[in-house]
Amino acid sequence: MPIHPRALDYPASELGEMIPDEAELTAAVKVEPGKSYGFFTDTTRCIGCKACEVACKEWNLLPADGLRLTGMSYDNTGGLSATTWRHVAFIEKIGDGDGRATAMPPYQSNWLMMSDVCKHCHNAPCLEACPTGALFRTEFDTVVVQQDICNGCGYCVPACPFGVVELSLVDGKAHKCTLCYDRLKVGLEPACAKACPTDSIQFGEVGELQHRARRRVDDLHGLGVARAYLYGAPDGPGATGGLDHLHAFFLLTDAPEAYNLPAAPTRASNRVGPTLAAGLAAAAWLALGAAMLFRWRS
Amino acid sequence: MNPRSTAVRAPYGRDAKYAPAASAGAPVTTYYGQPQLKRSHWGVRVALYIFIAGLSGAAQMIAAAADLAGGESCRGTVRRGRHIALLAVAVGPPLLIADLHTPQRFYNMLRIFRRTSPMSIGTYVLSSFSLFSIVTAFAQLMAERNGGGWNRLARTAQLPAALAGAGMTTYTAALLAATSTPLWAAAPRALGVQFAGSAIAAAAGALQLAGRIDGDDGGAAALEGLALAAAATELVGALAAERQCRRAGIGDALALHRPWGALHQLGAVGLGAAVPVAVHAGKLAGRRPRPRLMLTAALAVLAGSFALRLSVLGAGNDSAERPQQSLGFASGRNRR
Repeated sequence: MPIHPRALDYPASELGEMIPDEAELTAAVKVEPGKSYGFFTDTTRCIGCKACEVACKEWNLLPADGLRLTGMSYDNTGGLSATTWRHVAFIEKIGDGDGRATAMPPYQSNWLMMSDVCKHCHNAPCLEACPTGALFRTEFDTVVVQQDICNGCGYCVPACPFGVVELSLVDGKAHKCTLCYDRLKVGLEPACAKACPTDSIQFGEVGELQHRARRRVDDLHGLGVARAYLYGAPDGPGATGGLDHLHAFFLLTDAPEAYNLPAAPTRASNRVGPTLAAGLAAAAWLALGAAMLFRWRS
Repeated sequence: MNPRSTAVRAPYGRDAKYAPAASAGAPVTTYYGQPQLKRSHWGVRVALYIFIAGLSGAAQMIAAAADLAGGESCRGTVRRGRHIALLAVAVGPPLLIADLHTPQRFYNMLRIFRRTSPMSIGTYVLSSFSLFSIVTAFAQLMAERNGGGWNRLARTAQLPAALAGAGMTTYTAALLAATSTPLWAAAPRALGVQFAGSAIAAAAGALQLAGRIDGDDGGAAALEGLALAAAATELVGALAAERQCRRAGIGDALALHRPWGALHQLGAVGLGAAVPVAVHAGKLAGRRPRPRLMLTAALAVLAGSFALRLSVLGAGNDSAERPQQSLGFASGRNRR
């Protein structure tokens, strides 16, 4: 990415004030209300450094989840949680199951690494499930839990098809990635994307990111990575079942399931109508039967 | 565990842009067996609420049907139905508020109405059911003392109460189905039928028992027939749910989750549906069952109705944490 000309206005290593529209310098995008913003996470560029996890915890003041490794890989949290809003998954790929491989395909040959995050779905099941309106769609087209409204009913937790949202037992509220709502408000790039040293996590306008991502897939195919594909882009895996598309989408090189992602997630609210219709029909027919029984038998 | 050991080699990328992961029942690739979904925190408290909501809602429906269609001999049934309806009014809101993790903010439920959220729908169903049921029961009480116009008020308020009561029997099924938890999401329609049938069977059973305690068997024959029809409806729903689960690739899902599978088979299906169906079928076949047997059937229906809610909640929560099931359910073949 070429250096933005405005960057030359700020040569000092310590700044006395905030740079207006700083995201323009760090992510080449101006953050403006009314547009859709999201993440494109290109897993072929991820080196598994977990800078995103750390930056997220630093900025959002999230506690550590214990100093441990899961023991299965270099993963130390196992998944997203109320206090982990970025999670780097590590999938070991050495060998072909049967023996030691003698040749390696390009990009992430031995380990697949992927920084998972809330998908900020276009039709978000958590938001649609929230009975208090605590979960809302921001002016940046992202999905955020308003902590001063959430009453901890916990319905968003099973509603999410990706297992992202979680209740905190410390404060009794639901928590998840806010796509750094507070940073976007003041023109800053989200912490994880800004910290990512390889630009595996890219922040920007969703349409522009999708365009960039499709070009990247074509480039990778040209380089011999035939398995590269987009997860969560319109009409692809992840963007199924009425979710339309995911504002945080991914470039993957293995089946979605290998990354703990569902191939075809669905919009939970699709099932409200059918359940109510079938249940009420059964209730109506039994009520009718009851009326007839009471008429005949009394 | 190496995730590749159970991998289904699906061609992703350029050659085959996207292929669904697995055929029904085949093992699914997982991420070291880590849970892919988070389980809901709902437990016994919510199961109890769903049971009581269904019981009370259906009792109000039956009371309305008896009031409109039945004769003078059904007056007792109508009165008892209106009283049983007050159970959910008294116990429901405390159970639900106690289940919140920030209960002091329970009133935020009334901030908005969201038709995509069964919990929001349920908030207003329970509120209106409570309001109309209280009016009905109060008018009933006044009518017993003063008669006259109070009776008309009771009948008028009972209609919307019974409509909301129908909602009380079913919205809880939508609450579970409208999640990503595989066991609840796999068979939405069947779950609705099961919950409605079970609620009405439980209410019919409760009204039989209450009538017995009052020493009034007016309408008892109709209630027995209704309990049979409702238990049969529930049984049809249970069979349909099992079939749909199997088709969605999470077959024998309930049986997998011990002890919930056993609770479901013995409690929900056995006590809740099979026992009453057998007792009533014996009666239809001409054998006169002793009243005690009929009451046993009524008690079995009540126990089975609670067992259904408890087992579906428990097994569903467990299914959310099994990546084989959640990833299998959300694979290409279930796209809709």
